[in-house]
Amino acid sequence: MITAGIDSGSQNTKAVVLEDGRIIGKAKSPTEFSAAKAARMVYAAALSDAGVSADRVRAVWTTGTGRTMADFADSGINEVSAAARGAHAAAPGTGLVIDMGAESSRAVRLLEGGAIRNYEINDKCASGAGTFIESMARTLEIAIEEMGPCSLRHTKDVPMNAQCVVFAESEVISLIHRREKIEDIAYAIHVGIANRVSSLVRRVGVTDNIMLIGGSAYNAGLVVCLSNELGKPVSVPENAEYISALGAAARAAEKSARQETGAIA
Amino acid sequence: MGSETLLNENAIKSPAVKAWKEKGGKAIGTICCHVPEELIDAAGMLPVRLRGTGCTDDSEAEAWMSPFSCSFARAQFEYLLNGTYDFLNGIATSDGCLLAGRIHDNWKYAGKEKIEKEGFMLSMTSTPRIVESRHTMGYYKEELEALKADLERVSGEKITDEKLKASARKYNETRALIREMYELRKAPQPAISGTEALELTLAAMSMEKGEFNKKIRAFIGEAKNRKPPAAPRVRLMIIGSAIDDPAFLKIIEDKGGLVVTDVQCFGSRYLWEPVAIDDSDVMGSLAKSYLERPVCPRILDIHDELYKLYMDMVKDYAVDGVIYVRMKYCEIWGGESLLFESKFKEAGIPLLTLEREEIMTNEGQLAVRVEAFIEMIEKEDR
Repeated sequence: MITAGIDSGSQNTKAVVLEDGRIIGKAKSPTEFSAAKAARMVYAAALSDAGVSADRVRAVWTTGTGRTMADFADSGINEVSAAARGAHAAAPGTGLVIDMGAESSRAVRLLEGGAIRNYEINDKCASGAGTFIESMARTLEIAIEEMGPCSLRHTKDVPMNAQCVVFAESEVISLIHRREKIEDIAYAIHVGIANRVSSLVRRVGVTDNIMLIGGSAYNAGLVVCLSNELGKPVSVPENAEYISALGAAARAAEKSARQETGAIA
Repeated sequence: MGSETLLNENAIKSPAVKAWKEKGGKAIGTICCHVPEELIDAAGMLPVRLRGTGCTDDSEAEAWMSPFSCSFARAQFEYLLNGTYDFLNGIATSDGCLLAGRIHDNWKYAGKEKIEKEGFMLSMTSTPRIVESRHTMGYYKEELEALKADLERVSGEKITDEKLKASARKYNETRALIREMYELRKAPQPAISGTEALELTLAAMSMEKGEFNKKIRAFIGEAKNRKPPAAPRVRLMIIGSAIDDPAFLKIIEDKGGLVVTDVQCFGSRYLWEPVAIDDSDVMGSLAKSYLERPVCPRILDIHDELYKLYMDMVKDYAVDGVIYVRMKYCEIWGGESLLFESKFKEAGIPLLTLEREEIMTNEGQLAVRVEAFIEMIEKEDR
């Protein structure tokens, strides 16, 4: 059975095409102004990547902040459920999934079978979200992709206390004026964000088998800092930023299978 | 009188308040469930529960109260400062929490001109935090006697035992009718939403109860004949700090959860348990009835009764999940979850904690949290 999942995020829209539990196609594009347009575009691109036509897809499910905009979808699930389902599909046995999106972060504890035990979402402030790193990269005048590797070349710990993006920016500027090394400042930024995300994680309870998903998971510096902060290894799955889309596609497959069984019965 | 009319009565200066003032009636604002409205009613005045519903800017109040204080209290004070409550002839507050007291203290200065020149009443009732003590009942009764004297002064009416008993009878009827309205929400497919139920109790908070009783009776009759909507995805109970904003519940219900009951002071905790008047000591029995009700955790030795109430509500209303809404910086409910969380866990009842501020800014975030909670309760049933 082929299903598709589309994750309409605040910054990027991701789509996967799933055949019998295996990702056979994927695509991503900036969400920009029209979430509907982005969803249609990435869906077409993912189908083309998979080499299948739309009529072979049994169901398309969406998730993410703009998910109701994709009017061609059959149904949808919440971001929290999608992250949990996707993490379980990617690595059964995952105990805790940290989903770090552009504008918000979520920590979801899973039960053994993949069901949600409890969850927390960051509130209002972007200091625990991907946008924070992006904003700091701009201040440091380095590419966002460089932030992680740069931070890992640090040689000393520089304390950074601001929790708000705006205040953090002025603190970073002060550190630049103090002639601190860019690598040390980048590291301080990652320690700070890991600290904030960890406080979210502690609210659901730290456990083994922690998975980090979302675009920020590609940031090696963040993974190291998070794992230091939580005192546990943090793993990054293959296709980390497609995990929620995978969750939506997996739920679509489950629901379709159940309907089929129901129809036969 | 149709239900539509009653549902339009939840604005702060509702049509009922306007009509009352137009015919020359006096209105007294109340803060906290420990101010017995019966006293105000018996003095021939209209009790109006103070609230901050719909407040979008509390910058004036922030000059008086720290930004790290309860925004519900700040919004009420903002409305006092900006003239929203200009129709009031006085305020009767209880020291339900520190910030309720701060509204009183600040208004003593900010409302000085009104108090000194217009005879605006400002009365503070100190309510004990313990029920079972040999001093408390007598003390609370004395406090209510002082409030009674204040009310007599501003109304020019003597509050006799007979008047008070008549008010208590009328209020007990309101209590029974509100319970009857809640009773309809026990149905598998309730015809009344949580948002609507809150609009009704809000209407009750600014309407003379004789009139309200007539209207809600008509509403109940109509609601019984409504075509029931589809069964809700999940049935929710709301507990926690004051919620005076139907829009907050609407966000929850728009996500597919139906609020079937609550334990909060603008809902079931407003008027519910009947007041038992003893002819030999009318004021004393009023004090006893008010102090012994399980209203909120501010009363220190009433926690067991509150837990029992939660659990009874869960059972009676077939609740699938509980949403604990904590006003940011709420002194009374802030740490309460430490005590009740384990009880819900033991009973296997899912619990979601939400933090609220009176000025609603994070609707999207709230919706995501609630939706995830609903999906979590439904598990794999979809």
